[in-house]
Amino acid sequence: MTLTSALQLDSIKARVIGAFAVAVVLHGAGTALIPGYSAPFAIRAMLVIASLLAVASIGQTLVVILGGIDLSIPFVIGFANVVAAQLYGQGWHFALVCVVVFGLAALIGAFNGALSRGLNLHPLIVTLGVGMIVQGLVLIWTKGFPSGSAPKAVSAFVSIGGSFGPLPVPALIPALLILTVLIVLVLERTPYGRRLYALGSNPGAAPYALINPLRIWTATFAASSVFAAMAGILLLGFTGSAYGDVGQPYLFQTIAAVVVGGTALVGGRGSFIGTIAGVLVLTEINTLLIGLNFSPAAVQSAFGAIILLLVSLYGRERHFRSTV
Amino acid sequence: MTRIFGRYGFAIAILVVLLIANLVMNPARFAPGNWGTLLGLAAPLIGAALASTPVILAGRGGIDISVGPVMGLVSAVVIKVLYLDAGLASPFILWPAALLVGAAIGAFNGFMATVVRVQPIVATLGTYLILGGLTLTILPAPIGPAPDWLKAMAGAWSFLPLGIIAALWWALCRTPFHGQLMAVGSDDRAAYTAGVPVTLTRFLAYVLTGVLAGAAGMMLTALIGSADPKVGANYTLIAIAAVALGGVSLAGGRGGLLGAAIGAVDIFLLQSLLTAFNVSTYVLQVAYGTILVAAVVLIALQDRSAKRSHA
Amino acid sequence: MPDLSMRIRDLTLRPGAAAVSTQISGGEIVGLAGLDGHGQDVFLRSLAGLERNQAAVDLQGNSIASFRDAEKNAVVYVPRDRRSTGIFPGLSILDNFAIATPGRDRRGLLISAKARRARYEDWKERLQIKAPSPDAPITALSGGNQQKVLLARALARDPKVLLLNDPTRGVDVATRLVLYDLFRDLAAQGMALVILSSEIEEILVLCNRVLVFRDHALAAEISGAAMRTDTVIAAMFGRQA
Repeated sequence: MTLTSALQLDSIKARVIGAFAVAVVLHGAGTALIPGYSAPFAIRAMLVIASLLAVASIGQTLVVILGGIDLSIPFVIGFANVVAAQLYGQGWHFALVCVVVFGLAALIGAFNGALSRGLNLHPLIVTLGVGMIVQGLVLIWTKGFPSGSAPKAVSAFVSIGGSFGPLPVPALIPALLILTVLIVLVLERTPYGRRLYALGSNPGAAPYALINPLRIWTATFAASSVFAAMAGILLLGFTGSAYGDVGQPYLFQTIAAVVVGGTALVGGRGSFIGTIAGVLVLTEINTLLIGLNFSPAAVQSAFGAIILLLVSLYGRERHFRSTV
Repeated sequence: MTRIFGRYGFAIAILVVLLIANLVMNPARFAPGNWGTLLGLAAPLIGAALASTPVILAGRGGIDISVGPVMGLVSAVVIKVLYLDAGLASPFILWPAALLVGAAIGAFNGFMATVVRVQPIVATLGTYLILGGLTLTILPAPIGPAPDWLKAMAGAWSFLPLGIIAALWWALCRTPFHGQLMAVGSDDRAAYTAGVPVTLTRFLAYVLTGVLAGAAGMMLTALIGSADPKVGANYTLIAIAAVALGGVSLAGGRGGLLGAAIGAVDIFLLQSLLTAFNVSTYVLQVAYGTILVAAVVLIALQDRSAKRSHA
Repeated sequence: MPDLSMRIRDLTLRPGAAAVSTQISGGEIVGLAGLDGHGQDVFLRSLAGLERNQAAVDLQGNSIASFRDAEKNAVVYVPRDRRSTGIFPGLSILDNFAIATPGRDRRGLLISAKARRARYEDWKERLQIKAPSPDAPITALSGGNQQKVLLARALARDPKVLLLNDPTRGVDVATRLVLYDLFRDLAAQGMALVILSSEIEEILVLCNRVLVFRDHALAAEISGAAMRTDTVIAAMFGRQA
């Protein structure tokens, strides 16, 4: 009993380390097989793409630790992308644009969380429904043709060719590192973080331990939407113009990153460092397969197969009998 | 009857309202002579919703998001590989082939989810990506036509595949499998202690979902009269929405194919009505989302008040 | 400090059942007995504000009508089923101990690992918790030690009234003796303890007074020399001793 449980905790660390190891191996393979794979520009490109996915995956990580799932992330990304461009294009100050976009995103997420928890609805359906509504409303507002663009500062912030002081990477990379440290501190060292894990680990015991499930669900889903909106604005800087479907690839990629990073979808376990490892693995796989001249279709298939392989290796659930 | 109505009440109420609205707004389209065509139009969504149901009923996070891509792959295999390349046109070859493809993918999903024990949404996400790529490799661009008998299944003969599925499900509900499926879905530990083969039952639910997805793929092929590698995947999420709308609990163990079908018809009728109003697809999108959220909220409130009146 | 007293006035445990009235004072250990499902569980949960209690419960004049009221007035409830409503299985022993009182360890914005550890070590000593390392998962502990951690979690909230729902269920004999000593200590310091137990022996050994429930009503209130196995059992079955 003692031994298996100790192994259980350690296995989470092992998964995270395993995911990082896979990323390193993939990178080694890429460098060996593809000329220029480790060239500075290629690495910078990978880091930027990985960072954008990492920002989009923050919310999914929090929500999955809670035992939920958030399918509204791609829709909120698209919403933020389009609304930010549109408002900025109409001459709003960009700080005000951000306040409005993040505020609305927080409301969307809070609604998702409060409704799912309050009425005990499956968050998959609630976030899907709310996501569809949000996307539809944005389309109606822009009549399907979003306009506007990102301020130069945002574009420079995420530009692959950008630099940050003496560092040869855009400011996005150090910013993400700081954000990662903050997220880890919040999860590990604040009452909110500990309650998040506790609630995900055993919702039935939470109220007796003075944890308010409704409040935590509301706050966590709100945070998820805010980070999705952040990704949407960063993507606006990255691509240069607004596009409502820009978030769609992130629907499954955020879930895949979380799971490959060793966070179980049953709640109560996982870490954002793991998600970062998952993000690196996914980015490496993608870059490697494209570099090997696979067709987009073959890249997609191989992507799916590798996710299945990785998760079969270390993402297995316990047998339901062991929970009897 | 009251029990059935209780669970599906909201979906049925919407159905009636939408049907009347459609009849008033668009009598020509809804004339009896057109029913075959109408059903053919709704069939792929109904099929996808039916396919999504068994794994959801089986509980413990059971879900199959590869239903849409299975439909796309079946379409590509049947039209491109078997009909156009190999010259096989008989329904008695193409239908079994479609169902077999579905069953094989269902078995793979079932193996991953129940034996390897990868979380269902992740396992079927992997399959989703693999199948999407495979379909595009087999069929880079839309191709046609479909055999005439298959196209007829989107018209006058559209009731046939759905009728057969309904009959088979009705029969299945009278075998021990149905009871076991619901038992596993509502409480797998209790079912296990009661001697139900939990893993096998769940595995079979995935196979059943695969077979039904294969059938839905044929209905999709019939409707578009050709094979298109891109349309299948779109059905996944809207089908799950239809299932939830139809009162099937995503926690498992509650609901059935009838509810899923009603949910799908609701979405189809809504689509049809808004199209008649000449409303943009954007509004349609908002309407889908609103109806979906409203439905699950109302079902939850209904369950809650039912529980209270029992207590 | 005025003497602690929790008053229960005309509390009905089920529509139609006779109302229950009693008083529980600081320094007392009150036992709840009865056949399973005869109302003692509802009574205990009512004291914790977890059941609708018609505002029949108050502590020093402050009504305990909700779980939040209980929280504010330092009325602490320890549930029966450790596994489904007690422990957080994925979390460490430390987390499981500190989860209800995380604010106490906060220095600035962050939880101080050192403060938390020190607080845990105090309770570990006092409850004689046998645990490998505080960072080990809670599931690495025996049932008895898990229960001690849960008690430490509850006691960390400085309860005035401690409501225990079958606290020694599935706990080994050695641990029971430790817990009995602890409960007596707490009572001696002025805390009021209400203990629901499925074992009559335990109530006889531990409690000053026993409330016996039958058909969701108070069948008997026994204390002193009259508190014997035969009297309690007779009351449980609705007979005269």
